[in-house]
Amino acid sequence: MPDIFIAEPKAESIIPDQPYSLQKQEGSATPLPINQPLTLPKNTVGLFSSFCKAPDGVSFQTQEEGEKILLFLRRDFATNIKWILISIILLVIPVLLPFVGKFFGNPFPFLSLKFYLASIVFYYLVVATYLYINFMTWYYNVALITDRRVIDVDFSNLVYKDVATTKLSLVQDLSYAKVGVIRAFFDYGDILIQTAGSLDNFNFESAPDPEEVVHIIEELIGKQNV
Amino acid sequence: MYNFSNLLQTPQINILFKIGFLIANFIFIIFLIVVIREVRTMSTIVSNNNNTSTIKSAILLLFIVAVSLFLTALVIL
Repeated sequence: MPDIFIAEPKAESIIPDQPYSLQKQEGSATPLPINQPLTLPKNTVGLFSSFCKAPDGVSFQTQEEGEKILLFLRRDFATNIKWILISIILLVIPVLLPFVGKFFGNPFPFLSLKFYLASIVFYYLVVATYLYINFMTWYYNVALITDRRVIDVDFSNLVYKDVATTKLSLVQDLSYAKVGVIRAFFDYGDILIQTAGSLDNFNFESAPDPEEVVHIIEELIGKQNV
Repeated sequence: MYNFSNLLQTPQINILFKIGFLIANFIFIIFLIVVIREVRTMSTIVSNNNNTSTIKSAILLLFIVAVSLFLTALVIL
């Protein structure tokens, strides 16, 4: 007689060989024990990394004693293409100016060569700062998943900073959306973490490999299925 | 009819351009100071020991170049 019910194989733990298994928390939404040693294979977060499991050398301001960061996320690097292209165009413009000047003439003939040179240096300085600020905006937009909490750090336009935190036990539901050809090609999408009660929901925008991220958080909160 | 190109060739306009350049450069330096402060704040909130020095060095380099340009412009223009 064929089997009517076949148990699904258990989801693979993100840290299979360690003495401490995340699956021990199955069915419970309690945070991981603090005093239990957690030995993770450490990975270095590069300057351009957007996804790193068990990052080495990363810490945050409100980190508690013994709290381990399990996942480090930034927006996918493909989201930077727009400002990188704009920067390349801005870098090329002064090179083209002498050719344009040949056709239209010098609009400011009374200015000295020294002034022009200083203006070009200043222009490149502004472009370099534009590059730097855009990179910073991407670099400091971070989501951290620890063994106890989910932390979302939003940083934009130099003046907007928002650090939101929720305990894993308060996470109610997880979902992700990967809409569009570009997102499908580069494999990134938005992850929505719904929290209990009146607490704000978390939205990790343009997170790389959203399936993997959702899977890891599900393991942490003790769920096995979406 | 008045020829406006004569107005542009007056020394006053030339000086106006130079003063404008210096003011723009000075405002830019102040802006860079704000950026440095924000980078310091953000690196306190989320610290990555592997890259913090690179990030801070880059903005300090921009700041040094901006100050150098301002001082140079003050002398040569």
